[in-house]
Amino acid sequence: MKRVAWWRGIVIGLFLLYMLIPLAATVLFSFATRWDRSIFPEGLTLQWWHAAMGRRAFLMTLQNSLVISLAAMVCSVVLVTPTAYWAHLRARKARPLIELFTNLPFGVPGVVLALALIRCYARFGGSIVYSPGMLVAACMVISLPFMYRPVVNALNAADVRTLTEAAHSLGAGWLATITRVIAPAIRSGVLSGALLVFSTVFVEFTLANLLVGARFKTFPIYLVEFTRFDGRQASALAVISFLLAWATSLAVLLAMGKSDQEREGALGAR
Amino acid sequence: MSAKEKDGSMEYLSLQGIRKSFSGVEAVRRFDLEIRKGSLVSFLGPSGCGKTTTLRIIAGFEQPDLHGGSVFLDGQDITLAPPNRRDIGMVFQSYALFPNMTVKANVAFGLQMHRLSRAQVEERVDSVLELVRLRDTANRYPHQLSGGQQQRIALARAIAIRPRVLLLDEPLSALDAEVRVALRGEIRRIQSELAMTTVYVTHDQEEALSISDLVVVMNRGSIEQVGTPEEIYHHPRTRFVAGFIGTANQFDGEMAEPTEVACGALRLRTPPVGAARGARAVVLVRPESMTVHAGAPQEHPDLNAIEGVVETITFHGAVTRLGIDVNGKRVYADIIRGAKSGFTLSQRLWISFSRDACQVMVLEQSA
Repeated sequence: MKRVAWWRGIVIGLFLLYMLIPLAATVLFSFATRWDRSIFPEGLTLQWWHAAMGRRAFLMTLQNSLVISLAAMVCSVVLVTPTAYWAHLRARKARPLIELFTNLPFGVPGVVLALALIRCYARFGGSIVYSPGMLVAACMVISLPFMYRPVVNALNAADVRTLTEAAHSLGAGWLATITRVIAPAIRSGVLSGALLVFSTVFVEFTLANLLVGARFKTFPIYLVEFTRFDGRQASALAVISFLLAWATSLAVLLAMGKSDQEREGALGAR
Repeated sequence: MSAKEKDGSMEYLSLQGIRKSFSGVEAVRRFDLEIRKGSLVSFLGPSGCGKTTTLRIIAGFEQPDLHGGSVFLDGQDITLAPPNRRDIGMVFQSYALFPNMTVKANVAFGLQMHRLSRAQVEERVDSVLELVRLRDTANRYPHQLSGGQQQRIALARAIAIRPRVLLLDEPLSALDAEVRVALRGEIRRIQSELAMTTVYVTHDQEEALSISDLVVVMNRGSIEQVGTPEEIYHHPRTRFVAGFIGTANQFDGEMAEPTEVACGALRLRTPPVGAARGARAVVLVRPESMTVHAGAPQEHPDLNAIEGVVETITFHGAVTRLGIDVNGKRVYADIIRGAKSGFTLSQRLWISFSRDACQVMVLEQSA
């Protein structure tokens, strides 16, 4: 038994090192005065953080990325959740087809998708093709599997068909059934999907660069621009990007944990 | 015989010529049934016999085929009414309690959907939780209850809205044997107290026979027989019912006399049967109607006696069942536990049963 535990520790340790070393290096590099002549940084400074965050473009691109990510996240939740629910309930034969469509983004590179969208919608004019709205739509496509899969898993786990029938037999219409019974039952799946969509879209560079570029500059475009002239400022921005994704995850986990605590509280109050 | 004919009362729930197919396969074929108000009717049959489909048609979760019959409730055609407008409560095999709600919220849900005032909801929730004897679980979540408790809450939730009909779809299948027996008694008690018209689906014959006013035995989408539990058990009308309900020895033969059936070398004395000589018939005898003797029993004009060899002895608690070879046919006879020691495998013995213990089914009249 001890031998097994020992190997487990090694494997987990190696995995953590593999994950944390690049992150730690990026963080350290963003604070380093100079780090190209020695193993460790020659000194530490906040200069690169001040420089990266001091520009007007920083807040603007951050805001743009948040808008695009939030829009894609909300639209995905609104579009995918009812579709998956309906397919689960009433269109079981359509499910393989939907699965196929949701997996397509894994086989279609972002650049191909962007060029296809440009060719397809070019006839409607540049204001449509190269708009933030088109970027949101394209981001929804590439993040489709990340939204669909957790929702479907939650639907399967919750046996929503029986729950729906139970709600109907108690006199509930569709609105009450969905809002009061189904949505809470699949909440964790929807939240996981939403979080994954937000994270995926927030760091999406290819689609943003090809579809909106400088017209609606997003944070990844801004970050990539920095890598061309200052790696340390780019590192500071990368850390900010990571912290945002991490904070989002934490917020969702806290929200889910709070609901669980409310349940426990209700139990304790009896 | 329909419930209406049997009780001479008005039908409350009426299924008329119901037919339902799935991808061309008939799940329910011309199903006609009338259910009296306040009665508990069981749909009993093996898996795939169409009992749950029929129940779901009553609930409104499935529609009959086009021109596939109608469902009437209290004289009103509800065939096309949506499930939430039928005022029919349902208890599911998997309980289907809402996991995000407490017991109290689960029970209150239907009442809120029916727009009862807050005070009425509180009062009704309290009373039904009292009825199922689970008032102290009001603030718990479903996952904090045992399977039996969850099903009682599901029952409370369904009856809280005072539905016109209560449907139970194999409600005890997921529970262990002890809880099943206790809970089916609870269901019958509550149903009787509320005089609620109830349709109960099960594949467990003991369950159906023990709690029902009327049992509907189904096979391959059709009704085989409708009757009281006693009628179904003691007077099965078809071979399927005889074989499905309990254990019945079946002797194939043909009418030799109005009170005698010739089954190969055996001639069985039976009650008078209105069938022509030579008509094909089956004689059914329950194992518990048979008496086992070590030697030949005394001859009597109303008694059948058969000689055989013990092939199997199986212990069933209250009785011991002997499997006896009679001219190459296996016949089962039950003996009380104390008598077990009197018989051994390969022992020659006699079995006897009275003329009245025989149920004769005439399969076809001779030409």
